[in-house]
Amino acid sequence: MDKLILRFVLFFAKAFLKKDVDFEKLKIIAETKLIMDRRRVRVTMKKQSNKEPNNQLLMTLIVYCILGLFIGILVLTLKEIVITMTIIHSYILFMMAMTLITDFSSVLLDTTDNQIILPRPVNSKTFFVARLVHILVYLLQFTIALALFPIIFIFIGYGILVGLASLITILLTVMFAVFITYLLYGLILRISSEEKIKDIISGFQIVMTIIFAVGFQVVPRLINMENLKVSMPIHWYTYLLPPMWMANALQAVQQLHVDGPHFIMILLAVALPVFTFWVMIKFLAPSFAKKIAAMGNAGTQEEVVLNKAGQQTKGLSEKIAPIICVNKTEEAGFEMAWKMTARDKGFKIQFYPSLAYILVFVFIVVFKRGEDFANTWSTLSSTKSFLWCVYLPMFAISAAVSLIAFNENFAASWVYISRPLKLPGSMISGALKMLLVKFFTPIILVLFAFSYYVWGYKIIDDFLLGIFNSILVCLIIAHVGKSYLPFSMQPNVSQQSGKFVRVFIQMAIIGSLVGLHYLALKIWWLVAVLVPFSAAGCYFLFRTIQNYSWQKISG
Amino acid sequence: MSIIQIENLKKAYDTNYVLKGINLNIEAGQIVGYIGPNGAGKSTTIKILCGITSDFEGNVSVMGLDVRKNPIEVKQKIGYIPELAALYEVLTPVEYLRFSGKLYNLEDDVITKKTNELLRLFDLQDKANTRMTSYSKGMKQKVLLISGLIHNPEIIFLDEPLSGLDANAVILVKEILSQLKKSGKTIFYSSHIMDVVEKISDRIVIIDKGEVKADGSFETLKANAHLGSLENIFTALTGGSEQHRSTANEFINVLNS
Repeated sequence: MDKLILRFVLFFAKAFLKKDVDFEKLKIIAETKLIMDRRRVRVTMKKQSNKEPNNQLLMTLIVYCILGLFIGILVLTLKEIVITMTIIHSYILFMMAMTLITDFSSVLLDTTDNQIILPRPVNSKTFFVARLVHILVYLLQFTIALALFPIIFIFIGYGILVGLASLITILLTVMFAVFITYLLYGLILRISSEEKIKDIISGFQIVMTIIFAVGFQVVPRLINMENLKVSMPIHWYTYLLPPMWMANALQAVQQLHVDGPHFIMILLAVALPVFTFWVMIKFLAPSFAKKIAAMGNAGTQEEVVLNKAGQQTKGLSEKIAPIICVNKTEEAGFEMAWKMTARDKGFKIQFYPSLAYILVFVFIVVFKRGEDFANTWSTLSSTKSFLWCVYLPMFAISAAVSLIAFNENFAASWVYISRPLKLPGSMISGALKMLLVKFFTPIILVLFAFSYYVWGYKIIDDFLLGIFNSILVCLIIAHVGKSYLPFSMQPNVSQQSGKFVRVFIQMAIIGSLVGLHYLALKIWWLVAVLVPFSAAGCYFLFRTIQNYSWQKISG
Repeated sequence: MSIIQIENLKKAYDTNYVLKGINLNIEAGQIVGYIGPNGAGKSTTIKILCGITSDFEGNVSVMGLDVRKNPIEVKQKIGYIPELAALYEVLTPVEYLRFSGKLYNLEDDVITKKTNELLRLFDLQDKANTRMTSYSKGMKQKVLLISGLIHNPEIIFLDEPLSGLDANAVILVKEILSQLKKSGKTIFYSSHIMDVVEKISDRIVIIDKGEVKADGSFETLKANAHLGSLENIFTALTGGSEQHRSTANEFINVLNS
């Protein structure tokens, strides 16, 4: 599709820009950039990326289309045009801005252009137009994917006139999203360094992934909301919200009636995006390009906290490691995994959404759909739903057990084999302890506090058994199958190897342990009796993993 | 007794032998320059001597320890500095050296003290708490050097240690190697930079296609080959200047076509 859009954009570019632009060079630069776009590992498509790199962009576009379908259905279910259009335009504005901030950051922040194209005989106008053409092609692809279904449904639901008008308002919304992105980058660049920007972008990427993960659960539920039939009058804050300008402008088109407030809305909807886009092209983009060009040369600083004497303060991991680790290798594994998981984007993007899932699932399973919230809450203490709170964190943590072996910088694992590691298993047990201390403990404490509030002291032994069972599951997963040292494996290549077997074993173990726990609830003393057995199992497995020799390590 | 003994060392990848029977005895306190063209088997030899690769034929012992049977003990006594090896760049050098030091079983306070001092000596104190993602090639190489030496090893294996270093750092490393030699350390040094090898090595071993082509002090090699510089000796033994000249001519012809 991008080739078609490129032809379309180049056709217009040729018609409007003749002077100083070398179209042969422009075409090859834009084509090459689009090829790179197709091959780039996309944030939201991380899991599919192992299969066919060329399909990643297509997969992202399909996901956007599906989300667009969900949102588009609102047009048919909600009859109030302002609410419907506000939701649709908010969705497009949000998705576009997030996409630009996360996925497109590699283009906006790409300094390789300066090294690759600037030394070649390409004039600055061709270079600038190539960048613009590339951005336009990219934007149009995503706009089509995001808005395809909503526009179709608008045509069906509101007729041709509103349909055509919505084409314009959606394009205006996209222009506004581009402006917001530039503005945001510009602001961050002004107050911060390149490295900081990369951190902020990673943050956005993680939020984006969480939204994708959770969105598929939440959006279909929203569609059934019956109570969104109220009308939405114009308030003072309506003038501050771009999606509401668009929605009210479309309402005016639908009613073929323009009063004072609606006139202002139409004016805002058309004039502001056009004006801000002009400001962006004229002022923001050039200053941005200069900043980016300067980035490659500027040194970047990323300071770790220093105390007043200028010494590095001892981090939390360095304080905890000697307390819970049995040898120096385990300490090294614990500390290193603690720091790496805090900074490695690949780990964070894959792991944090699964943490968000815990909260969503607790909500979904404890408060079931269609039931009255107050009623559910009052009868909650008589149910056994606390078992969900006990065992849900295990799913996320046990997934992290496998994740922790992978890292983009896997080649750095040469350090393990060049150092005198007698028991490399201690590196693994150190990393496992880190997962339990850093991620499992806080989550289980929150869920315990919630459960204690609802069910009282009687769930203490259940939590004890649940905690040991969860640790046991993590250790079994680490023990069964291939054992990899932390951050020593290339992502994508081996991530899938043995995954099915691992998931199957994981499910079987979790199922039997939770089932056993559920059965034990029938005899009041049995749960407490099972706790030491589970704890002993944990101790035994920890010792086994600590004592792994090099023969047991794969990779 | 030799501190490093290599007897009939052979190593094959599938059926392709990259080392075809190397024999070397290295005395303690020597700096040995180990040179050869790309693919000659230099890095493979070093990895075997460091206990990293155990799948080889022949006998190799380091400090009296069979590297195949006692790789951990060997690794504890030696320092290995690979060529431009990857680092966990999201860590700061202080964090990375702490990690590496712990793998050598060093105490925390020893690691902290040495790390701060060594980073200062390499002019990295200002960047000591900066993540290595923003480090240049040379800065990373300095961290690698420190991480391989922090436990004060008896024998030091260096595989192209000067890659990416600036001129000042090269002089500093050369000086460090000389001082290490004076303090009785043995240095096994692989490099492409001939003049450095020529200047610092007590003994030079030239290998090509998995075989030792020449072995001796620079003076001996010079006398045997009747050539003035190590570069000329190297070229004569590993390919010949005539071949380089003809390749260069061909290159220019293609450019002009």
